[in-house]
Amino acid sequence: MIQLHNVGLSYQPEAAALSDINLKIPKGDFVFLTGQSGAGKSTLLKLLYAELTPTRGQVLIDGQNLTRLSRSQIPLVRRSIGVVFQDYKLLPNRTVLENVAITLEVLGWGQRDIGKKVFHILKRMGLESKLNSTPLRLSGGEQQRVALARALVNDPKILIADEPTGNLDEENKEAILDFFKEANNRGTTVVVATHDRRVIENSHRRVIRLDKGRIVDQGRIVDQGETGSAPEESAEVADDSTQG
Amino acid sequence: MTAPKANAMKKTTKPAGAVRPKLAQEGFFGRSGYFFARALANLRQNVFVSVVTVGTISLALLIAALFLLVYVNLEGLANGWSDKVQITAYFDKEPAPLAVAALKTTVKSIPGTKSVTFISKQEAESRLRARLKGQESLLEGVNADVLPASLEIRLDREHRDNFAVTHYVAALKKVQGIGEVQYGEEWVQRFNTFMNFFRLMGLLLGSFLTIAVLFIVSNTIKLTIYARKEELELLSLVGATRFFIKAPFLIEGVLQGALGALLSLLALAGCYFAFLHNAGSFLGVNPAGAGLSFLSPLHLAVILGGGVLLGFIGSLTSLRRFVNV
Ligand SMILES: Nc1ncnc2c1ncn2[C@@H]1O[C@H](COP(=O)(O)OP(=O)(O)O)[C@@H](O)[C@H]1O
Ligand SMILES: [Mg+2]
Repeated sequence: MIQLHNVGLSYQPEAAALSDINLKIPKGDFVFLTGQSGAGKSTLLKLLYAELTPTRGQVLIDGQNLTRLSRSQIPLVRRSIGVVFQDYKLLPNRTVLENVAITLEVLGWGQRDIGKKVFHILKRMGLESKLNSTPLRLSGGEQQRVALARALVNDPKILIADEPTGNLDEENKEAILDFFKEANNRGTTVVVATHDRRVIENSHRRVIRLDKGRIVDQGRIVDQGETGSAPEESAEVADDSTQG
Repeated sequence: MTAPKANAMKKTTKPAGAVRPKLAQEGFFGRSGYFFARALANLRQNVFVSVVTVGTISLALLIAALFLLVYVNLEGLANGWSDKVQITAYFDKEPAPLAVAALKTTVKSIPGTKSVTFISKQEAESRLRARLKGQESLLEGVNADVLPASLEIRLDREHRDNFAVTHYVAALKKVQGIGEVQYGEEWVQRFNTFMNFFRLMGLLLGSFLTIAVLFIVSNTIKLTIYARKEELELLSLVGATRFFIKAPFLIEGVLQGALGALLSLLALAGCYFAFLHNAGSFLGVNPAGAGLSFLSPLHLAVILGGGVLLGFIGSLTSLRRFVNV
């Protein structure tokens, strides 16, 4: 469960990148975060894995208040969240295999287990022939899948992706979205920021719309049979007039 | 999806699959293999900067080691000389044999005494004879009584400077029966003063060198870290602890420091065996003609440790700027 209460964030004193954000995303949900460029999508995602701390309000993940974490607790939170960064952040001087392995090395897995797990996920993503290539030798779609593999190899509780279909062709978009769905089917909460209308329309998922740093549409919650109370909760949150 | 949760079969009831197979041991030693592998990979990836770092460290340590070598030899020389420095206390008249032991005990109880030897009149004479061997005729007609009995006293190392000796002599003169006291030659005192100056110089030079090297090393290491900024950032974003991020860099620094120290010691040994080891007799400072001696294993270990410390601290200080995420 992801909860944001009255969250505001300003990069500069005058201009707020986010304001009055109230949001609940139940466990196992699949939501799109949309809005024009500059609406605050990336900023909101960064709050979820504690790359940014809000200027106001609280961010809770499974009841844990990220704004109250000490520096040494932040890594622990991040280990249960897989992130596909907008610019992928693949390390250019390491192979595909090594790039994906990083997530597990950080967790202290043994080499043997890492090898097996990484090979398994890369095979699932159709990258078994690229294991020893470096990222710069891959196509955009392949790089995207490596980034996704790195985010998912740890079976995270939450998967976050920032514009994952940004510069992909239709075929690759489909493939990527299928991987998201697959992860979601296994219980992972998925939050995807995108301004790609087509992707949203085809998916029939909850869509949260941002504009100038405010939520203008909480979206319809798709009851996936696991979170019965979610619709009422979100209705309450969605009602702007009851919020401060 | 054939078996996406193959790992999960072992154990776990967590729904969203926060699955963990058996971990390699936690902590530094459990992961040291990983940290070392990363450190070595980093060294290989940044050969140029590594070479610069190692070169800086080894040059600095070479200067320090040369200085130490000269210092240790001078100190040895000074010790040799001042071992010969002794205080001779002459008796107004030869004490009775039975009183000698008591006198020696009294003198020994003065703080700073290392050893006391009694020289009787007879002994003094035979010494003189021995020294003038072949020219005994000079002594003809000389009465053995001319030479007084004396105590030859050596002092502890700490009591060999001017101030302590003056004090000591004052105490000595109070002992019953002791008349004239002779001690210290002026040039030895001067040499001691010089050594004190040399020590001070060493201290200043050493601190200056340490600071300069730390600065250079931490800046070159900063270069390698800067080149890997995105890696550090990514590690942090996937949940690496600060220790996990830093450890390979610290190991890298230690390896560079150790390597630099070894190189400097090799260069030192090279200098030494090429010409320094017989420079001593050439300069005529060491009458034994054995030349300068090499550094002791302890000194070599200190230099090695210094290199390791330089590398470690250099890495640590430059990491502080970057790993605060
Ligand atoms: N690091 C930053 N420093 C200052 N302003 C920023 C920074 N990142 C984003 N912004 C500003 O915050 C607002 C929201 O940005 P962002 O979250 O990236 O929007 P989106 O991802 O929806 O395009 C924009 O006005 C942007 O200019
Ligand atoms: Mg963005």
